[in-house]
Amino acid sequence: MENMIELRNVSKEFKVLNRREGLKGSIKDLFSRDYKIVRAVDNISMNIKQGEIIGYLGPNGAGKSTTIKMMTGVLEPTSGEILVGGNIPYKNRTKNAQEIGVVFGQRSQLWWALPLIESFKLLKDIYQISNSDYNSMLALYQSLVDIEPLLHKPVRQMSLGQRTLSDILAAFLHNPKIVFLDEPTIGLDVSMKAKIRTLIHALNKEKHTTVILTTHDMGDVDALCQRIVIIDKGKMLYNNDIEHLKGFFGSYRTLKIRIDGELKQQAKVIQEELPDFSVSADEEWISILVDEEKATVMEVLNQLQQSHEIRDMQLEEISTEEVIKKIYEEGVE
Amino acid sequence: MKRKGLGFYLRIYRKILIQDIKSKMSYRADFIISTIGMIFTNIAGFVSFWILFRNFPSINGWNYYEMLFLYGFSLISLTPVQCFFDNNWSLRTYVYSGDFIKYCFRPINLFFYYQSEVFDIKGLGQLAFGVGTLIYSWNKIGLAVTPLMLLKVILFLITASLVMIALQNAAAATCFWIQNSFYVLDLVLKFKDYAKYPITIFSPVFRFIFTFIMPVAFIAYYPSLVILRPDAVPILSWLSPFIGCLFFWLSYKFWMYSAMKYSGTGS
Repeated sequence: MENMIELRNVSKEFKVLNRREGLKGSIKDLFSRDYKIVRAVDNISMNIKQGEIIGYLGPNGAGKSTTIKMMTGVLEPTSGEILVGGNIPYKNRTKNAQEIGVVFGQRSQLWWALPLIESFKLLKDIYQISNSDYNSMLALYQSLVDIEPLLHKPVRQMSLGQRTLSDILAAFLHNPKIVFLDEPTIGLDVSMKAKIRTLIHALNKEKHTTVILTTHDMGDVDALCQRIVIIDKGKMLYNNDIEHLKGFFGSYRTLKIRIDGELKQQAKVIQEELPDFSVSADEEWISILVDEEKATVMEVLNQLQQSHEIRDMQLEEISTEEVIKKIYEEGVE
Repeated sequence: MKRKGLGFYLRIYRKILIQDIKSKMSYRADFIISTIGMIFTNIAGFVSFWILFRNFPSINGWNYYEMLFLYGFSLISLTPVQCFFDNNWSLRTYVYSGDFIKYCFRPINLFFYYQSEVFDIKGLGQLAFGVGTLIYSWNKIGLAVTPLMLLKVILFLITASLVMIALQNAAAATCFWIQNSFYVLDLVLKFKDYAKYPITIFSPVFRFIFTFIMPVAFIAYYPSLVILRPDAVPILSWLSPFIGCLFFWLSYKFWMYSAMKYSGTGS
């Protein structure tokens, strides 16, 4: 399989004015040449193969959007090389645009006043899609989602969920090689999220479209991504399979127990007994994050049983969400 | 991928236009009220003009019908900017909110794609008013109706309309550089009002400004001279078609250059 996207030592710097406080400061700023350089993206390299779904993750302000903008040709990298489907995006912006589809979760790119089907027809002209390709794509859409009720509705009358669905369909319409999805499930209800994930998955399978997905919802990642890339403060922290990720900090499992007494207080007591592991409590359970390289779950359970009467217990594998949270908070050693 | 020429863009524009008008007409109350509003705006403009000229039979050698000709000429040449380039007014909001980025992902000309989104139907009333005024004054002045004259007036109208489009493009594109470009746009809009007067009535300073700095004199005055004063046409009048095209091209380049430098806000 060939590489669809290649990034080699890509960095992006912005010049930002050092702002001063107060009105006096603002006036001084008018004449100031006091700039500082901010590295939004710092020396990132990666390859993405055809047909992959990549989860591109990172806390707010990590540099995700900047990277996406460079890959879509809106921004020019300060240094490094980017190839998207064989094109240098910022040099051949229009040519690149023909090969990619972009969805921003909260910014619809469809014509606000037009019914969806009319937007589709315009896109057919703009991307010069042949009749047969267009019809087979519409047939595919019809088999995947119930689009009939959407087709004749102006975009501005749609709910957020319907609009996102429409935007995704529009992004795939010209059968692009790569689709960038920026937080596609933001603000959606559970059933709509599931619907959208199923749709993205099906389109990826059917058309072998490469998908770059940025999201803060680990449900999206678990449902769709084989591989994730995590960046923070512009630097790449992680670039590997999602399976590998779970063993990344050693092998963690969460032991949940229920005991008598005030759980919050009991949790503190247990924390003192088990200084190696993090202990927390909610209304029902005390959760202990067990690092199995230090002690097995059974050992911990035995130890706990000596001093507490355990009423009930559960064992959970660590969720992607928790791993990502740990990476955001602690970084990677 | 086929080449995207003028035919390609015209076809897409026509489709967007038809859909846009259809959707506007589906909001009936909105459509009727804005149509009525448009008629009254034009009547009000005309009445103030008429009151002014009832009191002065001629200004600086320009009689009432010649002034009317100029007025009609300016209304027509200001129509395209109103109809086709009205989205310039929203540009600063799109840029400020970061929504402008959504226009950057299509494989067509960015300027075209952005402007094509809005067609302001209100401009058509202005056009009808302008054409009526022009024909009426044409008759009263007793100008000949020959193919050459018609060709001249059409050519000069089209190129004159480019001047205002250029001014507005350039003013709107300042929003890529400064936070609030509304004042720049508003300033240009205010200057537009001077287009309907012969610049000889202004002092030399303003004559200079209206010709070389904020060239609103090219919207009606200079091109009209070719029709109204065929015996003494200044060189600037003959140049006005080229100036219109040149300004439009420059403003387009400036607009595109600014948009390309734009990087959007974080999301």
